[in-house]
Amino acid sequence: MSPPPRSAYLHIPFCHRRCFYCDFPVVPLGDRATGQPGAPGAASIAAYLQLLHREIAAAPAGPPLSTVYLGGGTPSLLTPAQVGELLEALRRRFGLAPAAEISLELDPASFDERRLAGYLAAGITRVSLGGQSFDDAVLAALGRRHRGADLAEAAGWLERARHRGALASWSLDLIQAAPGESLAGWRQQLRRAVATGAPHLSVYDLTIEPGTAFARRLERGQLELPEADAAADRMDLTWAELTAAGYGRYEISNYAFPGHASRHNRVYWSGAGWWGFGMGATAAPWGERQARPRTRAAYAAWLESGQGQGGAAPAPTAGMPLDERLLVGLRRREGVRLPALLTAAGFAPAERRQALAELRRRLEPWLADRLLLEEGPRWRLADPAGLALSNGVLRELIGWWDERTAPGRRSSGAVPPPPAPVPAAAAG
Amino acid sequence: MTDVPVSRIRNFCIIAHIDHGKSTLADRLLQDTGTVAARDMQEQFLDNMELERERGITIKLQAARMQYTAADGESYVLNLIDTPGHVDFSYEVSRSLQACEGALLVVDASQGVEAQTLANVYLALENDLEIIPVLNKIDLPGADPERIKEEIEAIIGLDCSKAIPCSAKTGLGVPEILEAVVERIPPPADRVAEPLQALIFDSYYDPYRGVIVYFRVISGQLQRRDKVLLMASGKTYDLDEIGVMAPDQRPVDSLHAGEVGYLAASIKAVADARVGDTITLAANPAPAPLPGYTEAKPMVFCGLFPTDADQYPDLREALDKLQLSDAALKYEPETSSAMGFGFRCGFLGLLHMEIVQERLEREYNLDLIVTAPSVIYKVNLLDGSTVMIDNPATLPDPQKRESIEEPYVKLEIYTPNTYNGTLMELCQERRGEFIDMKYITTDRVTLHYELPLAEVVTDFFDQMKSRTKGYASMEYSLIGYRKNDLVRLDVLINSEKADPLTTIVHRDKAYNVGKSLVEKLKELIPRQQFKIPIQAAIGSRVIASESISAMRKDVLAKCYGGDISRKKKLLQKQAKGKKRMKAMGRVEVPQEAFMAVLKLNQ
Repeated sequence: MSPPPRSAYLHIPFCHRRCFYCDFPVVPLGDRATGQPGAPGAASIAAYLQLLHREIAAAPAGPPLSTVYLGGGTPSLLTPAQVGELLEALRRRFGLAPAAEISLELDPASFDERRLAGYLAAGITRVSLGGQSFDDAVLAALGRRHRGADLAEAAGWLERARHRGALASWSLDLIQAAPGESLAGWRQQLRRAVATGAPHLSVYDLTIEPGTAFARRLERGQLELPEADAAADRMDLTWAELTAAGYGRYEISNYAFPGHASRHNRVYWSGAGWWGFGMGATAAPWGERQARPRTRAAYAAWLESGQGQGGAAPAPTAGMPLDERLLVGLRRREGVRLPALLTAAGFAPAERRQALAELRRRLEPWLADRLLLEEGPRWRLADPAGLALSNGVLRELIGWWDERTAPGRRSSGAVPPPPAPVPAAAAG
Repeated sequence: MTDVPVSRIRNFCIIAHIDHGKSTLADRLLQDTGTVAARDMQEQFLDNMELERERGITIKLQAARMQYTAADGESYVLNLIDTPGHVDFSYEVSRSLQACEGALLVVDASQGVEAQTLANVYLALENDLEIIPVLNKIDLPGADPERIKEEIEAIIGLDCSKAIPCSAKTGLGVPEILEAVVERIPPPADRVAEPLQALIFDSYYDPYRGVIVYFRVISGQLQRRDKVLLMASGKTYDLDEIGVMAPDQRPVDSLHAGEVGYLAASIKAVADARVGDTITLAANPAPAPLPGYTEAKPMVFCGLFPTDADQYPDLREALDKLQLSDAALKYEPETSSAMGFGFRCGFLGLLHMEIVQERLEREYNLDLIVTAPSVIYKVNLLDGSTVMIDNPATLPDPQKRESIEEPYVKLEIYTPNTYNGTLMELCQERRGEFIDMKYITTDRVTLHYELPLAEVVTDFFDQMKSRTKGYASMEYSLIGYRKNDLVRLDVLINSEKADPLTTIVHRDKAYNVGKSLVEKLKELIPRQQFKIPIQAAIGSRVIASESISAMRKDVLAKCYGGDISRKKKLLQKQAKGKKRMKAMGRVEVPQEAFMAVLKLNQ
């Protein structure tokens, strides 16, 4: 049984606009929205926050939270006061642990230094800045609202706040392998990012998700993405530049100076549970995920119906399934302690030995090429080559797990049913 | 209903090219004679197999008995015996023609005679069948019955003055066809008093009753309680049931010379009651069997391997079952270091091979790797012995060989003359020897070539069709073995020999084939986490090589709380796709790659 969650995710769906690659549950309010009372969308925001407060208040009790993450969307469309009220609600329901990591996502050109000070005063300790790129052409191609200069300015405010001691840490998001960006252009981006002093960098490959503007353009042949090798070159360059600059790669897409890894995100990759609040948010308080409706109306109706965490505490489950623990765990620099995971998944000692032997056999090519490393009880992907090819290892692991758990499979000793008799060739 | 006098029986078949409307006409005859009520009519009643219906071709032949009252006021029994319409099954065609006294030659009134039709007409003429030309689809705008009549007269030498224009679709001309069957096709010879000889022209396997045999009684009589002897197999059986196809099976007490019927006798496999065998009475056997019996011999071979080694027993069971209903299917276990356990299977031709493969995958739920088709080579060894090789990978080493002979076919292509050039080019590329070219009409020709069967069983047919926009048709028959300078071309993937990709090619073509083959494999094999050299070699000499560069990046960009389910589903799907590939050494090879040699020109 999983221990109760010590982390909470709050989803703030409001955005100025939907970027071309975004498939998140968001509510675009238009470029003129500011979040200030009277500005476009302010009433929508207020109405949504009421729902969010209701969900938090109805959650079952739990121990004080050590990490909180306000993500979106563009949570910087909330006023510092609104952020403060949400944190207060969490404090009332669960309490906040001393030195809790409380992150807020901010987008350049959606806040100023004064507003930042307000968020920090309200209790925010860490900021995740959705910069994506310093290059105006790339930003425009991605459908972003801000410009490179906005990002540079915002980064400056954050870094100043950190040096003042008002902000514990901050992170800059970058999009890797954007359409039309050269390798030299990408090197430039990495160097500018390093130059901001950001103690944490998240570098994500542009992923084309179904239903997005990019997916439609790709389908129509109007979007040219870098070839596989070109994308690999960019990933290699990222690793080389950032490790040379003193960052440690603690997860496939995340780099940080020592002590600046995101505690909240580590929760997702560790298999521990978390609370989730808000439309479209995914919660997994006991390991098994519960997705919330992705539109405001459906979310409101869902809250009304009393489903989810409201009322009595849900029955704790066995925790995150093994294949998912591997899927997230192997993204980390430290990998997973595989025997312990097998034990947690209910393997008896003999079964565990057998499973480990079978996995060694299945993953032999990966182990032989030292892309996957078995170091005592710890299995991890080599950095950087193994991490870059992690899907190959995950497919083996997930395939193995699916075969074990599929009903009527060989593992249970069941023989497949005999084929039906040959249909007669004539009408008879 | 069996007391019909021999003089009032007419046995006939329909000869037609694919798509010229044979099945539609057959359906129409069944309907117009009231044999099948319109409401019970499935479209194309005679093509029963699901696969046949999908492909619009006839594989298994069948028969139907119709009761027809002619203009002379007499009641006749008309037996329609269906014939398969593909070159792979020409032996079956010849047996069903032998069971008839006449044939309807159905020709599309706009398209004219095709090679396939021609071959079958010649077979019918050899069997002394009365041929009634029928011009079908005359309701279509492009129909030109006068031109087609001239063509038939010119090509086949048939008198077309009494050719019947018809539209099987609308029913136009069908009454005239029925009258012509009665008037022009002779009744069977009255040989009721002689000992029993009945010709098997088809059979199928019924899981509950054993093999159901379709036959034509040539002489004598068969009673329900008789004990029969199958003269080629030498086996005797007590009859469970005899009957006629009306068109549903209807039991009767006896059948006599001239009639067409079926029998059930708990026969275990169709191989025990082969097409062409003669049924006689165990107690009073005929002095000799009917002429013309041969066992259908497979001409094309390939390896069948389950993608999942655990499915090997299932594959064996499925082949065992298929063979019960398909006497031409041959198989024996084959082991390959690269592929594990599987079977080397023999087929009548490419279509037969595809049908079996599809049935195995569809009806038995198997995932198969099929290797490229091969023919049987005759290898003369230095020690004076000869071995027959149906698997290129087992071709003896050059130092042991004196020579290799390969099967040759006589090929006739029938085409509009505008495509002469491109077809002759194709035949030359495929090592064909030009024999002659005949103008049949002012704008249609037959090309006559002799060429190696191995060149025909690859993508020849597809190439012919695509080069002529589908207008050309072809027919081939085996004419024997010829010596050629052949070599074994091996493929090495990641430095390991890939047996299933081994081919036998002419030395002059080896370099080009090798080069295109490695290029094609480079295209078909997905990148893996290491570099994969692909080589083509003759003996130890590498003649072409390529390499698939290592995949450097295969990773999920991000994975946070909400993403996990979706990302997992994606990986699960990919893991399933991977299962459909075959691991050759460390390299995962997709199914299509094993057929690469067939796709070199695409």
